[in-house]
Amino acid sequence: MSAVAAPRRRLSPRAKAGLGFFARYATIFGLLAMILAFAVLSPRAFPTVNNFTNVLNQASLAMIIAAGLTLAVVVGELDLSIGFAASLHGILVTGLIVSNKLPIPVAVLVVLAAGALVGLVNGLIVTKVRVNSVIATLGVGTILTGLAFAYSAGVPIVAGVPESFLQLSLGRWLAGVPNNIVVVAIVVGGLWLLVERTALGQEIQAVGGNPAAARLAGIDVDRIKILGFVISGMCAALTGILLASRLGSGTASAADSYLLTAFAAVFLGSATLRDGEFHVLGTLIGALIIAFGFNGLNIFGAPTFSQYVLQGAILIVAVGLSSLGRSIAES
Amino acid sequence: MSRPNVEGLAVAPGAGPLVSAEDVAKSYGGVQALKGVSLSIMPGEVHGLVGANGAGKSTLIRMLAGLAQPDAGRILIDGQPTVIATPHRAADLGMNFIHQELAFVPGMTVIQNIMLGLPKASRFGMVNWGAVAREVAPVAARVGITAPLFASVKGLSTAEKWLVNICRALMRKARLIVMDEPTASLSAAEGEKLFRIVEDLSASGVAVLYVSHRLDEILRLCHRVTAFRDGRSVAEMPRADLSRAALVEAIVGRGVDGVVRSPGPPPAGDVVLSVRGLARQPRVTGVSFDLRRGEVLGIGGLVGAGRTELVRLIYGADRIDAGTMMLDGRPFAPRSPAVAVKAGLGLVPEERRAEGLLLTKSVAFNLQLANLDRVVHGAAFPLIDKRRRTSLAQSVIHDLAIRTPGADTPVGRLSGGNQQKVVMGRWLLRGPKVLILDEPTRGVDVGARGEIHRLIRDLAARGIAVIAISSEPDELPDLCDRVLVMAEGRVLRELAGPALTRNAIIEASYAEPVLEGAPA
Repeated sequence: MSAVAAPRRRLSPRAKAGLGFFARYATIFGLLAMILAFAVLSPRAFPTVNNFTNVLNQASLAMIIAAGLTLAVVVGELDLSIGFAASLHGILVTGLIVSNKLPIPVAVLVVLAAGALVGLVNGLIVTKVRVNSVIATLGVGTILTGLAFAYSAGVPIVAGVPESFLQLSLGRWLAGVPNNIVVVAIVVGGLWLLVERTALGQEIQAVGGNPAAARLAGIDVDRIKILGFVISGMCAALTGILLASRLGSGTASAADSYLLTAFAAVFLGSATLRDGEFHVLGTLIGALIIAFGFNGLNIFGAPTFSQYVLQGAILIVAVGLSSLGRSIAES
Repeated sequence: MSRPNVEGLAVAPGAGPLVSAEDVAKSYGGVQALKGVSLSIMPGEVHGLVGANGAGKSTLIRMLAGLAQPDAGRILIDGQPTVIATPHRAADLGMNFIHQELAFVPGMTVIQNIMLGLPKASRFGMVNWGAVAREVAPVAARVGITAPLFASVKGLSTAEKWLVNICRALMRKARLIVMDEPTASLSAAEGEKLFRIVEDLSASGVAVLYVSHRLDEILRLCHRVTAFRDGRSVAEMPRADLSRAALVEAIVGRGVDGVVRSPGPPPAGDVVLSVRGLARQPRVTGVSFDLRRGEVLGIGGLVGAGRTELVRLIYGADRIDAGTMMLDGRPFAPRSPAVAVKAGLGLVPEERRAEGLLLTKSVAFNLQLANLDRVVHGAAFPLIDKRRRTSLAQSVIHDLAIRTPGADTPVGRLSGGNQQKVVMGRWLLRGPKVLILDEPTRGVDVGARGEIHRLIRDLAARGIAVIAISSEPDELPDLCDRVLVMAEGRVLRELAGPALTRNAIIEASYAEPVLEGAPA
C-alpha cells in the first residue's frame, strides 16, 4: 500500500543557507556595486570626498525620520503620519521663531514636544481605541496636513527667518562636518543603543517579535507600542525642523515625500544583515542605498520621472527582500 | 468487504460503506498521531467517534477534509481508494465539516453564507437572488432555519449558525457531514432541535460522523460508535452493545492505574492564593479553590472545560466578570499579566510557540524576558551586560539540562521539550510565588516529559505553589498532590490522596455536570 502524501516543496538546507546569505547581504553588495559602478562611470564627479559628504548631508534628514520609523515598525506597527507631521513641524518651528519671536532653542524644544505629542496620540489611538495603525496614522497625518494649511494659511513662511536658524542645518561642525551628519550620528547612535543594548530595548524587540508572548512574560505591551510611536513622532519633528532650516522656510507638504523614502529605507534595512527583522543599523544602510541611487541619477542627469520609478521600485524590492528573509527565518 | 450490521438503518441491502479508512497512520515530526485506525461509515448512518484528547480523532478528520494525507493505509469512498488531496476535492466528494468555530462571513446575509462558493442562478450576468432563494427556501425550512434568508448572520444564535452550516452542507449535496462537538455551545433545547435534524438527515440518506465527548448524545443518536485510543481504533460497537460503561472503558482502556500513589504527607504550607467564585462568561462560571505553598495542584478535565480560561483570569490576561482572589492574604485583582508578574505569578502557556517564545530569537534572549533587571549593569545604568546575560543563560541551560548548541541558538531550532524548558527557565530565574503551567508536556517526547515532571516537583519542594493543567489523565496522578476536575466552566470534583487515580479523573471528566435548566 503506497503512501499518497502529496510531496510538498521544501528548501534543502543548502538552498536555504544560500538564499539566506543572499537576502542578508544583497543590500550591502548592492550598495557597494552601485558606488563602484558610479565611480567607474563618472570618475571625476562621483568618487570625491565632497560628493560623498554631500550625499550624506542630503540623506541625513531621511535617515533621521527613517530611524524614528524603525522604532514604530520594531514594535510591530506602521506610522504613516511621519511625512505629514514633519511638514507641519517645519511650519510650526518657523512660525514660532518668526511670528512669536521665540528663541530658537525654545522653539525647537516646543516642536520636539509637539512631535512627541503626535506620537502619543497615534499610540493611544492604536493601543487603547484599537484602531489599526495604518488607518490611525493615515487619519492623524491627514489631520496634521489640515493643521499645517490652517497655521500657514497656505502661504510658505519665508520672510524673517533668521540666519542663525538656517545655520542649524547648513552649519558645519569642527573639521567641517556638516551639522546634519552630527545630528544623524547622535540620533541613530542613540536609537541603536536603546533598541540593541538597553533593558527597555529587549522589551521593545520582544513586543515586535511576538506581542502575545511578550504580554504573558509580563511586559506592558501597550506602553512599549506607545513609546515606539512617540520616538517616531519626535524624529519626524526633528526632520521637519532641519528641513525648514535647510529650505529657509516653512512650507505645507514640504516633507510629505519623506514618508516613502523612510519606508523604503526601513524595509531595505530589515533585509540587511538580519532575516527580515527591522533594526536601526539596517535602516541606516537602506537610507544610504537610496541616497547614493538618487545622487547617481542626478550626476548622470537622469530625468525627474526616473526618480519616481526608482523610488517605487526600491520600495517593492525592499519589502520583497524583507519578507523573503522572514520566510527563511521561520522555515 | 462485508457489510457491517447496522441496526435501525434503512439502506439498500448490499450497499457498501460510503467512507472507510483502512489502517490509516500518520505522524507529525516524529510524533505518531495515528498508529493505525480503521473506520467505516454507511450511507445514512449516524456514526459516533469517541476518544480522549489526543486519541487521533482530529487527525482522521483532517484527512477526510483533505488537510492531511495518510503516511500509510488508505481511504476509500464508495469502495474506491481515493486521494483527498485538497479541501476542494473533499467538497466535490460530498464531505462536509462543521466545527466548533463556525466558518462565517459575518457581514453577509444568511443566504449569502449558505451559498458561499456555490454557483448561483443568474440573469444577465447578475445573481438572481429571488431564484436562489426559491432554491434554498425548502432546504432551509427542512433544517429549521426560522431567520429570514436575507437577514444578516450577525444576529444569529450559535444554534442558528449551526443550522445555516448544515443547510450549506445540504446545498453542496453533502453525503457525509462531520460534526465536531456540535452541542458544546448549545443550550439543552437547542441541542434537542439539532438531534432531530441529525435524525432527519440520517433518514434521508446523509451520513453523519458525530464527534463528541458527551456520551449521552452518542448513546442516543448513533447507530454505531468507533472509539480511538492512543492513535488506534480500539472498538467498534453497534447500537445494541452501547452503554455508558462500555464507552468509558473503550476510551480509558482497561484499568491500568499504573502508579498507585502513596498518600504522602499533604503539603503543610500556608495558603498563597485563594480564589472565590471566579467567573468569566461563558467559559468560566464560578471557580473556588485554595493553593498552598509547595503544592502541585492539577486541573484536569476535557478540552473546552474552561481550564485555560480560568488560569488566564488568575494571570490577569482576561478581564474577570465576577469573583475575588487573595494573594498572600491581600486582595489580588490583576489588570494585566504585567501586574500579575510583579505580584509574583508566572505562566507557561499551552501554546508555547505562539504565546511563550520568540522563535527567531536566541535562548538567552528568551530567558531574559521577565528577568531584565538581572541582566543589566545596574538599575542606574540599564545597559545589557552581555556577559552576565550569557552566564545566567548558561546556568539555566545547565540546571534544566536544556539541549541546545549554545545560549545564542535561536530557540525555534530546539525540540519541543527543550523549548518548554526555556519557558520554564524564564520563570525559574525569576522565582515566582505561584507558577501556572498549561499543558506542560504537550508535544514533548517521553524523556523530556520525565525531566519536566521532576523539575516541577523540585520547584514545589522549593516552596513555589504550582498549578498544572493537563488533558492527559495519566499525567496528573504522578505529578500532583491534588487535582481539580473541571467541566462546563466549574470544578466538578476534587481528588487527592488514594482517590487520585487516572480512572477517577476520567470518570469525573465525563460525569454529567449539574446544570441549571437541564430538561426534566
